Amino acid sequence: MRSLAEYQPIVGTAVLQQLEQLAGNLAGIKVVHVNSTRSGGGVAEILHWMIPFMRELGIDAGWEVIEGNEPFFNVTKMFHNGLQGERVTLLGQHIEAYESTSRQNTERLRPILESADIVVIHDPQPAMLLKLCPRRKGKWIWRCHIDASRPDRAIWKYLRPLLECYDASIFSMAQFSKSLPHPQFLVAPSIDPLSDKNIDLEKGEVDTVCKKFNLDTERPILTQVSRFDRFKDPLGVIEGYRLIRKFAPVQLVLAGGGADDDPEGKQVLDDVRQAVNGDKDIHVLLLPSDAHRTINALQRCSDIVVQKSTREGFGLTVAEGLWKSKPVIGGDVGGIRLQVINYHTGFLVNSPEGMAHRVRYLLNHKEMMNIMGTKGREFVRENFLLTRHLREYLTLMVGLRRGFASRLIAAA
Amino acid sequence: MPADPFQIKDCALIVRISDMLPAINLREFRQQLTQCPIDCIYHHFFECVLRPTFDDPEFHNDFARWAKRALHDSVLAERLEIINPYELSDLEELRKTVVEIVDDRLSEIHNIPWALDDNAFIFHSATTVVFNTSHVISSPEELGRAVREMSAGSVYYHFWEARRRTEQRTDDFTVWLNGWDDRAADTIWALSQIDFYFMSLGELQRRLVDIFDRTFKTRGTS
Repeated sequence: MRSLAEYQPIVGTAVLQQLEQLAGNLAGIKVVHVNSTRSGGGVAEILHWMIPFMRELGIDAGWEVIEGNEPFFNVTKMFHNGLQGERVTLLGQHIEAYESTSRQNTERLRPILESADIVVIHDPQPAMLLKLCPRRKGKWIWRCHIDASRPDRAIWKYLRPLLECYDASIFSMAQFSKSLPHPQFLVAPSIDPLSDKNIDLEKGEVDTVCKKFNLDTERPILTQVSRFDRFKDPLGVIEGYRLIRKFAPVQLVLAGGGADDDPEGKQVLDDVRQAVNGDKDIHVLLLPSDAHRTINALQRCSDIVVQKSTREGFGLTVAEGLWKSKPVIGGDVGGIRLQVINYHTGFLVNSPEGMAHRVRYLLNHKEMMNIMGTKGREFVRENFLLTRHLREYLTLMVGLRRGFASRLIAAA
Repeated sequence: MPADPFQIKDCALIVRISDMLPAINLREFRQQLTQCPIDCIYHHFFECVLRPTFDDPEFHNDFARWAKRALHDSVLAERLEIINPYELSDLEELRKTVVEIVDDRLSEIHNIPWALDDNAFIFHSATTVVFNTSHVISSPEELGRAVREMSAGSVYYHFWEARRRTEQRTDDFTVWLNGWDDRAADTIWALSQIDFYFMSLGELQRRLVDIFDRTFKTRGTS
């Protein structure tokens, strides 16, 4: 278990002092985070570091995961897709599956949730818990991690009444926010620079991973790390790769795992394997959820990191790539726009053709790749590391307890 | 000599999305401008300088930026950009000035400019979170080195945000230096001459360091 002091060489002393000052206002309060999976996906990754650090700062923080069967997670996946704009058909049986499982989870979690000072509900899966906890004593925050800028109307019509009663909500970008009758805040996610996923690796470890997956380090490597999800557009990445192959002998790595709450992953993976069609330079790697060092090594051995999503809440893999000093070619959507700044940290693209065009440009301008890599790492250091993220959560919690004014003095 | 040393503070923002509906065209924008909380006006003219960017900002307030990049109305963008909010008596005066410029523009054009849906103007406000740092300045001669090592948040807090906070409506350095004898007079005058509103925080920081180094060195800092 790491301590916050270990981050001092990366973020500086002042940043840690800020956290201590804010936490002085929250000593001993009980904070509970609730999401739908303990492994796989960005939310679980964030909670894995956030809970211990809140505890280190004197906050009684806990993490609960809702449990459900296949029909429940099929419905929550519909919510997820629907919030991201996919047309879905919400039937009575779907609502029944969602609500009955939500009730079961509430019975299990009720004492913890109703006694907490602050409850943070992540994404739509556990959203109903608030309505089922009428004797709650604390403030409840809904944290939306996904791009909900154009939700399916039926899904939003169902979810909105569940969300209205929250005391505040958090979005990664203003464009994702909804008309809700409570304060809405902007907090971008972040990465942990000392986690297995992001920590510096010895060259030997990177080489071993390349060897294991038959990657030729003499030829350019493009890597997209993400769940096998349609919104991550793995098929579009393969299409882009095929265009690039006409002028450069690149290799493509599509690496990802499944998440417990994602029943669609297998179908998308099957589609991807079919699209690969025996091409030995496309490496589709289905990795276990704890293969963090492998992913780290794959990103480090890459020349360019790709995240060609068509919808994206934030895209932690973009920050991960930038932190490893790689230029990133990302879809011109959602939170990727916060991280990929054209000609500075990479390029935003809207099509496989755009991806191919930008890869070609970078492969012919190696000096530009180096400059972007350096800028990207500093950009992440200043804006997308976990200390900034934690500071904003703590600020929000202090504000919710004290009230929000135009100025808030952090020291207790 | 002032009784209290200069305590260096730092700050950060927690940004809140206002209750106003997003404005998708210039007419809606005008309507929302007249109704938005005054903190939104402050955020989009002042606090936006703290937002991370690589570019030397072409535009210094969010309204001008939106007029150019979302509405593609260069004339409006230029008129909004040239507003210096520090020449106006208060934020309501600033709001009136912006509305006036938008009204003028609406009277000149035949087609109302529209933004694409994902470029609608979303009104924000923010809470400034103020942090203590362990750094303290005991004499004016230490200012150059101290400012050189400051974070962008500290520069913003002591130079920009101070104007909203201090009784004299000026920066914290000037307030503090006024408590010294007249050896700080040149420095105070030089600070008053900075056209800071049109600078990035990095540029402002370099200018401050230059002023502090130059004025205290030339006066013999023993």
